Amino acid sequence: MEALIAELKDKLIAGFKLENVKPEDIPANSPIFGTGLGLDSIDALELVAILEQDYGILIQDRKVADEAFASLEALAGFVEANRKA
Amino acid sequence: MTARRPVITGVGVIGAIGVGVPAVWDALRRGEDGLSPLSLFPSPRYRGLPVGEARIEVDRAAAGFRGSRTDKLCWIAASEAFGQAVEGGGARPDPARFGVMLGSTVGGMRGSERVLQRLLKEGRRRFGPTRFHEPAGATDAVAGRLGALGPCGTYSTACSAGAMAILAAAETIGRGEADLILAGAGDCLSRLTLNGFGSLLLLDPEGCRPFDVRRKGISLGEGAAVLALESEASARRRGARILARLTGWGASCDAHHATAPDPEGRGAIAAIRAALAGAGRDAAEVDFISAHGTATPDNDAMEAGAMKAVFGAALPPFASWKRSFGHTLAASGAIEAVMCVASLQAGELAPSAGCGEPDPGLGVEPVLVSERRSLSVMLSNSFGFGGNNVALVIEQPDQPDASVRGAEDLRPEIRSAFEFAVLGEGVISASGDSQEAVARAFRDGVEPESGKGIACGDFETEPFVPPAQRRRMSRLQQMTSVAAGRALRGRNLAATPPERRCIVVGTGLGALGDSIAFLENLIERDEAAPRPALFANSVHNSLASRLAIDLGMTGLNSTPVHREISFELSLAMGCAELGEGRADIALVGAADERNARADEIFARWSRCGPVPNLVEGEGCAMFALGRPDDPGASSPRVLMPRLGRLRRSGGGIDVAAEADWLLESLEAAGVASLELDFLLTGIGGDQALDRAYRDVAKALSERTGRSLAAGGYKHKCGEFRSASGFGFLTAVGLVQGVIRPGDCLLPGDRHAVNAGPCRTAALLTWSSHGAKALTILRA
Repeated sequence: MEALIAELKDKLIAGFKLENVKPEDIPANSPIFGTGLGLDSIDALELVAILEQDYGILIQDRKVADEAFASLEALAGFVEANRKA
Repeated sequence: MTARRPVITGVGVIGAIGVGVPAVWDALRRGEDGLSPLSLFPSPRYRGLPVGEARIEVDRAAAGFRGSRTDKLCWIAASEAFGQAVEGGGARPDPARFGVMLGSTVGGMRGSERVLQRLLKEGRRRFGPTRFHEPAGATDAVAGRLGALGPCGTYSTACSAGAMAILAAAETIGRGEADLILAGAGDCLSRLTLNGFGSLLLLDPEGCRPFDVRRKGISLGEGAAVLALESEASARRRGARILARLTGWGASCDAHHATAPDPEGRGAIAAIRAALAGAGRDAAEVDFISAHGTATPDNDAMEAGAMKAVFGAALPPFASWKRSFGHTLAASGAIEAVMCVASLQAGELAPSAGCGEPDPGLGVEPVLVSERRSLSVMLSNSFGFGGNNVALVIEQPDQPDASVRGAEDLRPEIRSAFEFAVLGEGVISASGDSQEAVARAFRDGVEPESGKGIACGDFETEPFVPPAQRRRMSRLQQMTSVAAGRALRGRNLAATPPERRCIVVGTGLGALGDSIAFLENLIERDEAAPRPALFANSVHNSLASRLAIDLGMTGLNSTPVHREISFELSLAMGCAELGEGRADIALVGAADERNARADEIFARWSRCGPVPNLVEGEGCAMFALGRPDDPGASSPRVLMPRLGRLRRSGGGIDVAAEADWLLESLEAAGVASLELDFLLTGIGGDQALDRAYRDVAKALSERTGRSLAAGGYKHKCGEFRSASGFGFLTAVGLVQGVIRPGDCLLPGDRHAVNAGPCRTAALLTWSSHGAKALTILRA
């Protein structure tokens, strides 16, 4: 799980072009969006696209996304449970 | 100042539930479900998704009409509306005072998608359909077919574009600039919008259910609708039957989010209240509301709240017709306006199809079955991406409009009131990123490097674009934000209330880089994982709505997209907001960007002018405008641009008629023809136009006895759709004395140019597709 969290952090930084953010700046257990990282609802939808592209996970309901993105730990658990790639 | 309110003398419609107003209204009042599984084109991701396809053979219904599917939909609706307006032996309108204003978001995107698909998947280079790519195609084609030579424009404010075009037409008629304008909108289904809304998780796989407790999102549709809007004086003169009146219109911007509405509905409330105030109606007088009602959880919740806020306990019956038509994007506002007219005439309310169980959480219930009742006042709501809101009020024709006077006595007085001042300017161009740099480029005779076209190169984004925001902005948004920031420098925006700040940013082709990246992605990956951020940037109004958010500007927010006159349409719209007293500051401008892939697929558009290597360019120019009495106002004074269409004879431009039009326009503006010191033209782009520009300047010189040359600016900025924004910057420089007339002549043109100061200049812009604009600037 630690490795997956680290991998997801790298994907967030690259996918959202967070130039001045380092992996250790992203807390593992607080919400990913609407926090100090400056990520908003369109970023959340971008993450939906990233999960589909990189892990083959298809999310079609905003509520599913909201729950999965509650924290990096929650996201890692969601990816682990649903990944097809 | 109350603009005169137009009457409606014709209506036309096509959509998923039929073609022609009688058939469509009958289906709507029966609550027909217009959705059926997608069949128009293959879509790996959305196979079988319910959509609202126009089920008739569109190509056959528009036989002999050349254009995109959107253009054809518009033509079908426009010919019905025009036919009704002139039927019964009524005289045809005066061509010079007859215009066309339409809205569209996708335009010819379907054809361009096929071109890209063939190129990327099959390596086939067949680019023909891209010539119908632009949303302006419908407007130009309808005007051309019906012989309209008056003001034309095309608007793209996402899902409110149809209502925005109607608003623009009503204002133009109100100012006395036209007698009759065919106004409306059209959009066809496309892979771009299907995948785009899908990437935002806004599609309901079971079909949209407006205001229903189980609603999950929209269903896309396609269609078009057009109204013949006319001054009452003209309608009576022609003996036309008056079907209804457009009595009120209001626009606002949420300044909240790129794709989501402000949950508080403040923008929606402001637009509705402005429309009611314009119509002189209290909320209690409204008999019915055609809701935007897209069936997204957010829209319907926001709209229910806004309606409750405006109407309180006296909420009139309301319905969303999106299940019957699908969400036809730009067309929706026009279709709903036409259906409001039909509803008024029938004395019957049409239901909200698709709403099985009204959401108790909303506290409001739409009309669920049709109902006969006497109707006088209808409200129609349209809310678009970027928070671009427009509301319209449509009424029975029986009450004559007290504000009507003769067209002739009103025109001069209105015109003189529409003079405004440039408070600041910002530019990103191949000749530099400031007015000083551009002036230097003119003075030193330096041409931009033009190996493979003229690009602006890198530009400094600090301090106008915070790095945290830049990461997701399109390059065109960055250009616009920097230019806007410079135009506003030294200005204390906080002194102007947010709702009295308006923004209009024109663009010919929008953020090409991000739009094409979105399409390439979805074609190459067979629609796997479409990218929402690119889609949000691909809408033409992403420029103006981004600025609204960053600058907290909640007044009118609009996006003209009419080829070469996109800038002038912005100027006109901003100027109208100032002149009508609705805004104290107007931020107007235009922007277009180069893109390598676009160069390839739009190759037919590249036109080499007389200047060697002058090919497609790019750039952005933004201006802060205020009223002449603004404390920050300095020279020059600018007059409301005059719009029209080129007269042709023998396959070319009728030079004598165009010279007449120029003289007449000067006279109407109260400028003696001898006062005109310089004619700045769009010369340097299209060879056929260039010859005519020179000939018209010659004809003017002969008639006034004063030597005028056709000076230009495109040799400094390159040829691109909205280049006349750079032209306006040049014209301002001419009148301010920082650019010399002689430096505006194309290399190779040798003319005697008045050496004295340039106190009056005119910016003349022609589009090879027929639109034209003239803007006069005075010291």
